[in-house]
Formats: sequence, structure tokens, C-alpha cells
Amino acid sequence: MSLFGIAWRNIRQRLLTSGLTALSLALGVALVVATLVIGNVVTEAFKSGSGLGYNMIVGAKGSPLQLVLNSVYLVSKPIENVAWSFYEEFLPADARPDGVAGRFAGSVQTAVPICMGDYFRSYRVVGTNAAYFDRLSFGGGGASGLARWWASLLGQSAGVTAPRPFQFADGRNFRDDEYFGGVLGSEVASRLGLRVGDPFSPTHGADDGLVHDPFTVTGILARTDTPVDRGVYVNMEGFYLQEGHAKPIDGAPVVAPAPPAEGVATPLPREQREVTAILVETASMPGLPAELTAMGLKTAINEGRDGQAAEPIREISVLLGLFVRPLELLLLLVTVLVVIVSAIGILVSMVGSSLERSRDVAVMRALGASRRHVLATVLIEAVILALGGGLAGWALGHLLVAAIGPLITTNAGVSATLVSSSPTELLLVPFLIVLAVLAGLMPALAAYRTDVAKWLG
Amino acid sequence: MPTPVIELEHVQKAFAMPGGETVAVLDIDAFTLHETEQVALTGQSGSGKSTLLHVISGIMRPDAGRVRIAGRDITRLGEASTDRLRADTLGLVFQQFNLLPGFTAIENVLVAMSFGSGKPDRWRAADLLASVGLGHRLHHKPAELSIGQQQRVAVARALANRPRVILADEPTASIDTAHQDQVIDLLTTTCAENDVALLVVTHSPDVAARFPKQLRLEDFNRAATHPA
Repeated sequence: MSLFGIAWRNIRQRLLTSGLTALSLALGVALVVATLVIGNVVTEAFKSGSGLGYNMIVGAKGSPLQLVLNSVYLVSKPIENVAWSFYEEFLPADARPDGVAGRFAGSVQTAVPICMGDYFRSYRVVGTNAAYFDRLSFGGGGASGLARWWASLLGQSAGVTAPRPFQFADGRNFRDDEYFGGVLGSEVASRLGLRVGDPFSPTHGADDGLVHDPFTVTGILARTDTPVDRGVYVNMEGFYLQEGHAKPIDGAPVVAPAPPAEGVATPLPREQREVTAILVETASMPGLPAELTAMGLKTAINEGRDGQAAEPIREISVLLGLFVRPLELLLLLVTVLVVIVSAIGILVSMVGSSLERSRDVAVMRALGASRRHVLATVLIEAVILALGGGLAGWALGHLLVAAIGPLITTNAGVSATLVSSSPTELLLVPFLIVLAVLAGLMPALAAYRTDVAKWLG
Repeated sequence: MPTPVIELEHVQKAFAMPGGETVAVLDIDAFTLHETEQVALTGQSGSGKSTLLHVISGIMRPDAGRVRIAGRDITRLGEASTDRLRADTLGLVFQQFNLLPGFTAIENVLVAMSFGSGKPDRWRAADLLASVGLGHRLHHKPAELSIGQQQRVAVARALANRPRVILADEPTASIDTAHQDQVIDLLTTTCAENDVALLVVTHSPDVAARFPKQLRLEDFNRAATHPA
């Protein structure tokens, strides 16, 4: 019989104590795994969001982080709006009424305006044009946590994935001339049970605000695992025609635009329009790398008084550095503490049973077991407990994440499933084994020193 | 001339008491047990019977003298070598049987095999248990066996590594008179069948009377007759 077999039977013999020890360990590890996975999922979500198919956001002067959070992640409040004429500075000649290219047009490949401030049953409504889904893309923030970790272990690049075009699970994108067309993110559609062709009426400013005219769902996006899943996207022409969305002009009374008559709506005049932000994909200037173009464009915008330019990746890096990484460190500390407490649990359990063990150790020694046999058997017992509890806890942690995943998705817009992972969790079990060996060392040494003659009687 | 398997020369063993006093327990000039010999060793309580078995089995080291097991002086061996020699050469049967409670009958035998030079052999373990009449109780734990059956497992376990000698410490002390004869028969018969020497320590004159050779510890242990 192998030492492993002997250790296993020793555990079986003290099934209740061993079971409770492994259970307490499993619960601790489950908690740690769930915390790590959710923390990692949140970080990954931020990273993937920052990898949208645009590299610059232009909005009103203020906090660039707030601009990014609001525009990319659909959280936080908009800073302010910028004038439509400022947006037109990013457009080429053929898209402008004066037929002259805007000041920044030469540096811009795509500029998509977004207007915010409305809600539909707690989800943000984003007024935009068809280019949002036709010309922008999503993702590109990186591979999953484990893939990233493996890549780093293998000395490869972090596995950044290419941005992907938006796809529709059902229906299609709205056309620019469909003023009251709307596209729903996958989560919005599934949560609210909306389908293509269904009408929906956003509310102004808050869920209990003024109810606007109904829009019609033209398409439902395929899942992206980005904040886009939580967005309600409507044609900005229809958005502008809603009460309270027209900009007052020089003290003149604000007049709500006339409702569409016989299916034909009149667009809001340019001077009454504002946009919350402009999502910009910079162009590569001849002979210049794209980064340099972006840098020049950013400087030019920020030196002006009309607005500011922010780089999502840079802002998210700042956010991660300021809040998420310290949080990760804190989680890691909690992990270490929980695991140490669990190891102490093993120690207490094994020390508690050492009296009972002494007689068995004496018998084994009398049968010819060496002190090293005895030492190894007790350490193997500790490792079996740690491994059993650790693996059970690992599985339990993922089940926990799967169980509370929908709650996380609803409240944080982050997708957490059974297979979500964190690189740190892979280190947990080896770490537990090392701690178990350390914890088992004291009872193992006690067994090593057992006075055989005394216990044989 | 039969070969000696246990030889003691000028063995002394004393214990320090809590008050600092030293009590001599063994003071033996010579003791020998030969191959296949079956000996009953009697002695008063406290005469050093168990200590003698511990010294012979290498569980306890003597303060002085030589202890040879199968020709090897265990007082000159390191602890690990003594452990291995004990596993390979000696089979021990205890008063309380001392079966491992979490292990089945066959596992108790296999555990003993684990510490010997050979590999644990499940078939041989089953054969040993069958030879002591427990072929139908291989997978029962000690708590599921009668006292007599536990003692049989202990005997089978003692034979696990084909020892040269079985040392039995009061093997009948925990069982009733009716079963004493059965245990002694089992030990003597099994040892004879396996060409194993047998040294049984007992305080019972009736048990000792069953053996062809009987020794009184007081007769050759000066510490028992003249305690310090």
C-alpha cells in the first residue's frame, strides 16, 4: 500500500473532521475564486471596451475620464454638449452644407456623433447615425484572462484581438432616413423582451421623465460582451425631434418640433443641434504614422475652446491604475489571508487529531515504518485535504460566479459566466499546497517524534 | 545446530524517573532464541517483559550491550536500517491487537507489507488472512470483527513480510479463557507452518504451559530480581 493510500485511509477514518476541514477550505477558496474572477471580468470588460474601433473621443471640456466613461461605458453623466458646428469641423466637404472640408477633416477617417440624456427603462439611449454600426467596430481589448496569462508565460504578445464589425442577431441597422428607427443591444433586447418591429418610447433625463415619441426596433445586435450590449441606439434625427432636445437660440422660445406628418419628418435645423460626443477614428496622414496624426489632432482640439479630445485607452489605463489595480491588490491580499486562515484550519484539524493519530503512528512504526514514512504520510494527508478542498472550492467559486452572473450583468453590465476566469486563480491551488505542507509540518513533526514504546503500552 | 535469530549480550536498560532517580529494568547477560524455536517468557508485572520486547524489536535502544537480530547487531545500525530490519525480520503481535481502525483486515496486512523490502502483495495478504480463517472477512474493518477475529488479523499481519521471528506481547491478556487456547494454537501452528520462531510474553502460567520451552524473566534479568 502506498503512502498516498495510507494517508487517504487516515483521512477517511476521520471523515467528519477531515470533511469539515476541507469544506471550510472549499468555502474560503470559493469566495476567493469568485472575487478574483469577478474582479478580472470587470478589468477585462474595461479593457475590451477601450479597444473600440475608434481611438479618440471628442466632447465638451471637463474630465476626460468622465467623457470616456459616459461615451464608451454608458455610465456617469455627460459633461455637456458641444455645438453641431464643432462636429462639422470633423466632416469632409461633401458632408457639409458649405461644401468646404472641416478644420479637422484631414486627420479624420470616421467621425460618429452621439447624443445622450434619454433613458429607456433604466438603459441609456444613444442618439447616433447609421455609421455607428456600419463603420465602427468593437472588441480588440485583448484575449480572455487565461489566454492573456498563458501568452505572457510563453513570452508572446498579450493576445490582443482585432476589432470586429457589429453583427445583428436579428433585423438590421437603421438607415439615416429612418428617423424613428432604433437598434437594441443584446442585453436590452433579452431583458426587456423586445423584438424587431416592436415600438419603444424613451424618457427624457430619467426613467420617470417626459415620455418621448415611440421609435421602432429595426435590429437587435449580436452579443458583444461590451457596454454596447446595454445600449439603446436611436436615429439622432428622431432623437433631435423629441421635446427638450432642441437647443434654444438666442433667447428665442424653445418650440418643440412639429410631429411627423404622414410619415415625413422635418429635420431639426443645424443651429439648434448639439452633440454629446464625437467618436473619432483618426486617419493616417501621408507619410505620418496614425499615432502622430492622433497626437496632432488631439493637441489641436485641446488648444481650442470648443471642446476636448480624450484617448479611451489612455483614460482607461489611468482608471485601472488609480482604482482597479489597487483593488486587485486588495483582492490578492484578501486571497492570501483567506488561504492562510484555511491553512490554519488544516493545522488545527490535524493537531486536534494528533492524539488519535499517535497510536496509529506507533503501530506503523512498530510494523517497520520509518520516521520519514510517518512524516510523509501526514504531509500527504495535509496536501490531500488542501487539494480536495481547493479544487472543490475552485469549482464552487465558478458555480457561484455562474449563479450571480446574471445579477452582475444586470447591475454592472459585465458578462460573468461559469467559464470566466482569472489568471491569479491558477496560482491558488499550488499556493494552497505549499501552505498545506507548512500547516501539516507541525503535526507531521509531532508524528515524527512519536514515542512508539509509550503508545504501544 | 539451530541458528540463533535473537541474541542478547550484556544488555542493560534503565529509565530516569521524574525525581531524577534511575530505575534499572533490564540487566541481562545473555538471551538467545533460535530459528523455529517457540518460547514462552513469563514474569511478574514490572519485571521488564515489554521493555525486553521493545529492545529486541529495536523500538527502544539498550543503554549497553548487544542485540543481534538474524545476525545483525541492531545497536550499531541507524534508526532507518533498524526500522527496515524490524519490518523484514520481526512480526509483532500486541496485547491490544493494535489494528489500524480505519483500515480493513486486508489493508492492515498490506500496510505492514508496505514497510518491508518486498512489494505489497494483495494475493498473499488475502492468502494469509484465509490461512487464519478470515478469507471471508477481508474487507471488514476491525470494529466489524470479533475480538478473536481481530487477533487473527494481527497474526496474519505479523506474518506479512515473512519474518524470522514473531514477538507476541501478552496476546491473550485481552481475551477470555475459552479463546486463549485458540489464540495460542493459532500462533504456534502458524509459526510452525511458516518456520518462524515465536517468543510469547505472558503473565499466565496456563498459557506458558502450552509451550515446549518456558523462561522466567526473573531467572536471567538481574534487574528484575534485584531492582536498583
